[in-house]
Amino acid sequence: MKRSAAVRAAIALLALAPLVAIAVGVGLSLGAGTLSWTAALHGIEPDATVLFRLRVPRVVLAAIVGAGLSVAGVALQALLRNPLADPFIFGLSGGAAIGAALSVAVTGTALGVAGASAAGWIGLLPTQLAAILGSLAAAVLVFTLGRARGRLHPERALLVGVVFNSFASAVVIALESVLAPEKTQAVLLWLAGTLGYEPEGVLVAAGAVVLVAAAILTALAGRLNLLALGDEGAAALGVDVEATRLLAFFAASAAVGAAVALTGLVGFVGLVVPHAVRLVAGPDHRVVLPASALGGAAFLVLADAIARALFRGLGTEPPVGAVTALLGAPLFVLLLRRRT
Amino acid sequence: MTAPLLAIESVRYRHDAQSPEAVAGVSLRVDPGEVVGLIGPNAAGKSTLARIACGLLRPAAGSVRLRGDDAFALPRRERARRVAFLSQDEPADLPFTAREVALMGRAPHLGLWALEAPGDRALAEAALAEADALDLAGRPVAQLSGGERQRVFLARAFAQDAALLVLDEPTGALDLAHQVLLVRAVRRRAQSGRGALLVLHDLALAGAACDRLVLLRAGRLLAEGPPLEVLRPELLGEAYGTEVDVVPDPATGQPLVAPRIRR
Repeated sequence: MKRSAAVRAAIALLALAPLVAIAVGVGLSLGAGTLSWTAALHGIEPDATVLFRLRVPRVVLAAIVGAGLSVAGVALQALLRNPLADPFIFGLSGGAAIGAALSVAVTGTALGVAGASAAGWIGLLPTQLAAILGSLAAAVLVFTLGRARGRLHPERALLVGVVFNSFASAVVIALESVLAPEKTQAVLLWLAGTLGYEPEGVLVAAGAVVLVAAAILTALAGRLNLLALGDEGAAALGVDVEATRLLAFFAASAAVGAAVALTGLVGFVGLVVPHAVRLVAGPDHRVVLPASALGGAAFLVLADAIARALFRGLGTEPPVGAVTALLGAPLFVLLLRRRT
Repeated sequence: MTAPLLAIESVRYRHDAQSPEAVAGVSLRVDPGEVVGLIGPNAAGKSTLARIACGLLRPAAGSVRLRGDDAFALPRRERARRVAFLSQDEPADLPFTAREVALMGRAPHLGLWALEAPGDRALAEAALAEADALDLAGRPVAQLSGGERQRVFLARAFAQDAALLVLDEPTGALDLAHQVLLVRAVRRRAQSGRGALLVLHDLALAGAACDRLVLLRAGRLLAEGPPLEVLRPELLGEAYGTEVDVVPDPATGQPLVAPRIRR
């Protein structure tokens, strides 16, 4: 690694660009029905609608979510100095799950109607709004309880997050046991992580959130490297440890919040993509962060394409969260074995 | 007259409200060109004082000035350009290579995206060479031996290019040849107008390496002066609570210190 970080980051991005292109190509080609590219590009229906109204937004959505979850995973692993950290570790998944389950539970009641109109006003589904509010509340809770003597203690926040996630899954199970079967089914599907078809405005907003979060985290990348030296070691090199941690925590939470709102809980991406990137590119966050954004985008676009293609055989679309794990686990083991 | 690299005035510090004062009113200065040794028994407050000198611990009372400026009013990065710190417990399990760790020393000099210029890379290479760690450059730090790792962290401190080096127990893991190499590197830096504060347990090494020694006990200053004045049997006996022999080195005249062990 004699080359500078900038050069290595550029090499990694150039190497990943074809992968993203392939993933997008596959994502646009695969689907429940067949598509004629020439017809679609000449504006002939129904191919044009299938391509531009269904598949393009879907690919963009998968790319945004995959990138957001991956950069958040990188940041949280660095903050906690723990390779097992995933984007949901700080209780965000628990909060989102409670929110979503509650919103399903109240569907049809006066509260449900009010929530639906509030969500519709900003262009979201009620479940999405509830998930955002739930994960925000969880982030604030974990952050507040993770502080002691005016400082955020990562180990403490981690413990609070883990305990809160267990608590939340108990709440969700309790809710499911009293809900009607079709409502339970809706909650379960959402928890497994499902990509849908989002309006353009929502996609643009989520894309902007993820882009800003990724930019903030990439600017913090040098400092995240120094945090590996310990709080004191980083401080001795001029890092404001507390401010870095706060900023990274909230940037990562925002990216995860955007992803969760759009798709529910897509597991595995935020844990495995950063590790796969590190195995190839080394530990430097100035390379790992931008590379994980691209790698995560490509991975989820591909996983979603496979999920949609499976529709033809199964007659139903498996949640993308299941596909990421089915696809990602063997890939990761393969990579791990080849490198060590 | 130039401001001292480090001027500590009557600082006091306790780790928490219940514990006794770790540092109880100590003053200390390091002038340009000077290598100062901080010696004393365990829990004398040496490491705490070293951290206070670097602005890493804020004393309850007293002041810390780096080249005349309040260490706690300086922006963090500016402070890190004035003083480099090598801790006694640097992490052992870093995934980064030795070269990457040496480059971390350049962090206080980098801009928003923390990207190094060729000059930074050249300084890191020179620092690795100075610490005799150039042949380790491509290896992950986690795979190195304790002494090798120590040289890599030393290279990081050198690469930081600060006027003042504060090294806490830098020789603990080093073999004899590398102890000599360290002392010579630090003294060479001092000759160019920089300075160092070294926390040392090896008193003979402290006598050979330093222009001035500061002897602490229980958070207080017990003696301060040139090595020959501080390394006296009665003073060391009092500080450490054990009998100590001091004999001049037949070749150099430097004091050699040995505890008297009766068996």
